[in-house]
Amino acid sequence: METTVNHIVVVPYILMEPLIAAALIALFLRRRHNIAAVISVLAAALICFRALKLAFTGLRFEGGFEWLRLGDFALSLGVKYDDLAALMLVIVGVVGLCVHVFSLGYLSHDHAKARYFGGLSMFMFSMIGIVLADNIFMMFIFWELVGFSSYLLIGHWHEKQSASDAAKKAFITNRVGDFGFLLGIIWCYYANGTVNFTELAALGDKHALVFSTAIPLLLFCGAVGKSAQLPLQVWLPDAMEGPTPVSALIHAATMVAAGVYMLCRINVLMVPQALNVIMWTGTVTAIYAALCAVTQRDIKKVLAYSTLSQLGYMVAAFGLGSLATDQEGRTMVVAAGVGAAMFHLTTHAFFKALMFLGSGSVIHGCHHEQDIFKMGGLAKKMPLTFATFTIGVAAIIGMPFLAGFFSKDAILYLAYANNRAVFAVLVFTAVLTSFYMVRLWKLTFLGTPRSEASEHAHEGGLTLTAPLVLLAVLSVIGGYTGIYPKVFNGVFELIPEAHGSAHTVIFATSLVVMLVGSGLALTLYNPAVTDSLEQKSPGLFAALVALKNSFDRVYDYYVAKIQQRFAMLLNFLEQIFLAGVIIRGLAGLVGLVGLGARALHVGNLNAYVYWFLFGAVLLWAYATGALAF
Amino acid sequence: MPVAPAAAFPLLSLIIFSPWAGAALLAMFRGVAPSVSRTLALIFSCGPLALGLVALNAFDPGRVAPQFVEDSIWMSRLLNVHYHLGLDGLSLVLVLLTGIVTPVALLASWRVTHYPRAFGILFLLLEGAALGVFLALDFFHWFLFWELSLVPAFFLIKLWGGPAASRAAYQFVIYTIGGSAFMLLGFAALYVATGTLDFTQLAQLAADGVIGAKLAALGGIWPKAVFVGVFLGLAVKVPLWPFHTWLPSAYAEAPVGGSMFLTGVMSKMGVYGFLRILWPIFPAQLHAATPCLLALALAGIVLGAYAAMKQTDLKRMVAYSSVNHLSYCLLALFAVSYATGRTAPTAAAATAALSGTIMQMFNHGLSAAALFCCVGILESRSGGKRGLNDFGGVRTVAPIFAALCGISLFSSLGLPGLNGFVGEFLIFRGVFGLDAGAATIACFGLLATAIFLLTFWQRVFHGPRAGVAAGEFADLSGIEIAPLLPLVVLMFILGVWPQLLAGLINPIVSSWAAHLSLP
Repeated sequence: METTVNHIVVVPYILMEPLIAAALIALFLRRRHNIAAVISVLAAALICFRALKLAFTGLRFEGGFEWLRLGDFALSLGVKYDDLAALMLVIVGVVGLCVHVFSLGYLSHDHAKARYFGGLSMFMFSMIGIVLADNIFMMFIFWELVGFSSYLLIGHWHEKQSASDAAKKAFITNRVGDFGFLLGIIWCYYANGTVNFTELAALGDKHALVFSTAIPLLLFCGAVGKSAQLPLQVWLPDAMEGPTPVSALIHAATMVAAGVYMLCRINVLMVPQALNVIMWTGTVTAIYAALCAVTQRDIKKVLAYSTLSQLGYMVAAFGLGSLATDQEGRTMVVAAGVGAAMFHLTTHAFFKALMFLGSGSVIHGCHHEQDIFKMGGLAKKMPLTFATFTIGVAAIIGMPFLAGFFSKDAILYLAYANNRAVFAVLVFTAVLTSFYMVRLWKLTFLGTPRSEASEHAHEGGLTLTAPLVLLAVLSVIGGYTGIYPKVFNGVFELIPEAHGSAHTVIFATSLVVMLVGSGLALTLYNPAVTDSLEQKSPGLFAALVALKNSFDRVYDYYVAKIQQRFAMLLNFLEQIFLAGVIIRGLAGLVGLVGLGARALHVGNLNAYVYWFLFGAVLLWAYATGALAF
Repeated sequence: MPVAPAAAFPLLSLIIFSPWAGAALLAMFRGVAPSVSRTLALIFSCGPLALGLVALNAFDPGRVAPQFVEDSIWMSRLLNVHYHLGLDGLSLVLVLLTGIVTPVALLASWRVTHYPRAFGILFLLLEGAALGVFLALDFFHWFLFWELSLVPAFFLIKLWGGPAASRAAYQFVIYTIGGSAFMLLGFAALYVATGTLDFTQLAQLAADGVIGAKLAALGGIWPKAVFVGVFLGLAVKVPLWPFHTWLPSAYAEAPVGGSMFLTGVMSKMGVYGFLRILWPIFPAQLHAATPCLLALALAGIVLGAYAAMKQTDLKRMVAYSSVNHLSYCLLALFAVSYATGRTAPTAAAATAALSGTIMQMFNHGLSAAALFCCVGILESRSGGKRGLNDFGGVRTVAPIFAALCGISLFSSLGLPGLNGFVGEFLIFRGVFGLDAGAATIACFGLLATAIFLLTFWQRVFHGPRAGVAAGEFADLSGIEIAPLLPLVVLMFILGVWPQLLAGLINPIVSSWAAHLSLP
């Protein structure tokens, strides 16, 4: 009992340490760049340490306190630390630490390093809040705060117009999704009387939960914004304006995955119709983003679209929902969607963070060149980056026995079992994934240097390479559920596993998919000075570019032609009808009063004060009867 | 109804009259140095805050009825008028807000070189009048304070305001007095019908159905006309859309401190009137009018936000955002009134909505005052420019200014962890339970708010340095930080610990929510 209490006491530390680090930096260390960096990295290391220690104790607990009470209505804050939270916390801790260390090298000469590290610590605080939240309301609080931290970090180089625009776009797009989220929370509150996960689950067990399609779908809106699903995906590619380690942590491994985590948390509220919508949203996002990634020239943009596509996989996996399995003659329904989505979230966090940091290493080595057609031949110049990046690429395209292979197969199997149409789309997406990832890998690392920058590329220091190695190791072993201690069983037992003929089908499919995609890329981009796809098939290329731009076009049209005009019309009405006609109608009256006022306007201010007080006193005296008229 | 025994110590009278006494004293010090008169005005303006804290300390949060009551017969010879003051949770919150905003506004006006003494005097008069409105429980002197507040506000705008201040000041006063005239007539009719002007008694009579019956006895359009008269006076003051047209120019032309006080305190007088007068005294009439009023409140929320989006003058932008924010308060009240008797409103929804209203009043007072202060700093630094496109890259040269202004902006757009979020969340939670459609439409206002506030922040603070920020631009000096710091600190405190405020209003809101019924 003693130890339980001790470990619960640790939780506020995990949450508050990064906040304290951020506050210290913001208040006292704005110019002490190196001290600020050390404090922030220290906080990240502590989080990582505590997250692992807490997970391995195997203790799971929850508890909260009332934050705001108004009559019968109360809002609470609290912690729900179950296997799901433990897993997510470990991911955030490990990837967070890698990114913090990498940032030490990557931003060593930045003029606002302290502000950057303060932002990172602020982000860690907010993200841990999402992970530990025991109710949807608290999750929403931290949900907004991660959005805010992401806003700060995307706009880190705020002198740059494009970075500042991208930050604003990210915040506002997220906010669109958050309204749905907010309404969903309020509706859930209204319908069920609680938003606490455990209480909702208890209601679900008693069959007392008010089911409606609207509640999960509104809550899903939040995930659509944060996890950049169609049609709110537009902010994520632009968010690449932020420093690369930020892209690795926030826009690849953790924050964007928070949408998937949130869906897993509210699994109890799901109904089939809602799951259907979620499944198709994820599937369409996966294929759309993969198509967009094919035409990108910027190394970070390729990775961004790849992230979108993988997030689509996770969301689709969640939407594919429960799976009936035969166990000892009984049919059991397990929340296989949660298992598959969280499994892919885990492996993706490792290999995508690895590739983003790898791209950071490349960009750092090439003196901030980001165009892959101006790279080439980096394998020899940056061997360690090359080796680790290769592992990342192999993992994402589903090379057997690496992390991505297992988690992707779990999703494909789930799709195969539940919905063949989705299965087909996801398989095609996988072909595209291996195509554009191998294209990226080949253009960046193989061949001969195609520019001055890549000619003089060099490997970075230890702070840059050590995180790469750690993440590469995790990308290799992260797919073996056996290596995870039993403490995460609450999640990993839910992962669907194919048996018998289904197993063979899935295995063969993913192998073929990988070989077809990468083979195509290797032949098409050999040699590559310009985009071969663009030359050999300009029609297809133009169509893909148009597809990529279509959403931004529609939104720009909406903003410029509809929203602005609506605002202009309102402003016009305001000026002409209300202010103009109505007020001018009163002008005659105003003039009369003005004449009267002018007579009293003697120019001495004191006179007005005395008039004021005199009037007040006179009235007073009259009223109390001291003065009789 | 027996007259309550007079309080041993007239705390509330002191709260109201201490700034007036300060004004009178200051008026006697002819020819003192500007710095002395500024300091004296600041000290006197802090009186109500100090006394308000005394009241807070002695305040019993468990009681619903007004406390520290002062009630004496005032002019029974002519009218049945009592000098009746009282302080309940609602009043206390607003007294504290006034106590905070006034010194802060004076600090923000520290650089006023033109008659600083007169400026201070007018400000103190304004403060006293506003406090009187929040503490009076009898229509007679409530209305005196209500009208007297216009006089100093008028001169502050006209004499210290921008280039078009004269017209804005006249428009402001005429419009408001126009509204008040109807209200006065309404109350005259009410007095004739009931023989009292005491808010507490009137509310009781209304709850018993006596007022409805007496007014109905007048016949014709009178029952409605009385309600409409009182409503107009309050609606102009808040302002409720479309009675807001005086507001953008008045807020924009007023001097910085004036804008801060107008938006921070005077706009709350209107909402206070709705909660203290219109809703308790005319519950049935208000209920009957709510379908229309809900639409007007929604129009204020959505159209106010979209109009703000189109403004290029930063002060007008913040002014329209005030229309938007205050409309949330009215939306919540109207939704509660709408649901009364129609459906069975859950007490929880009504509690959330009404608590949200009061918290939103306080929070908006802080954030809007801070924003006007920031625009004022930009204005004074650039020689009077305050266009959206006149600046750029200020964050690069003035990070402290950027941080303080950024916190105020994010508080205004409702970021959790800062004060604005709690009130808005509660309003949405409550309104959704009472009228889900209205809550959904109001969401568009939230989105538009985010857009224009971020545009403000981005254009002024981000991007390459431009305008005055391209040259020498020092970060904030001590005297510029002084008004912003207390506001920002309070934003954090109330954002993290909203129970501080909620604890004060809990009993009164719970009792309102428990007695929702139509006579």
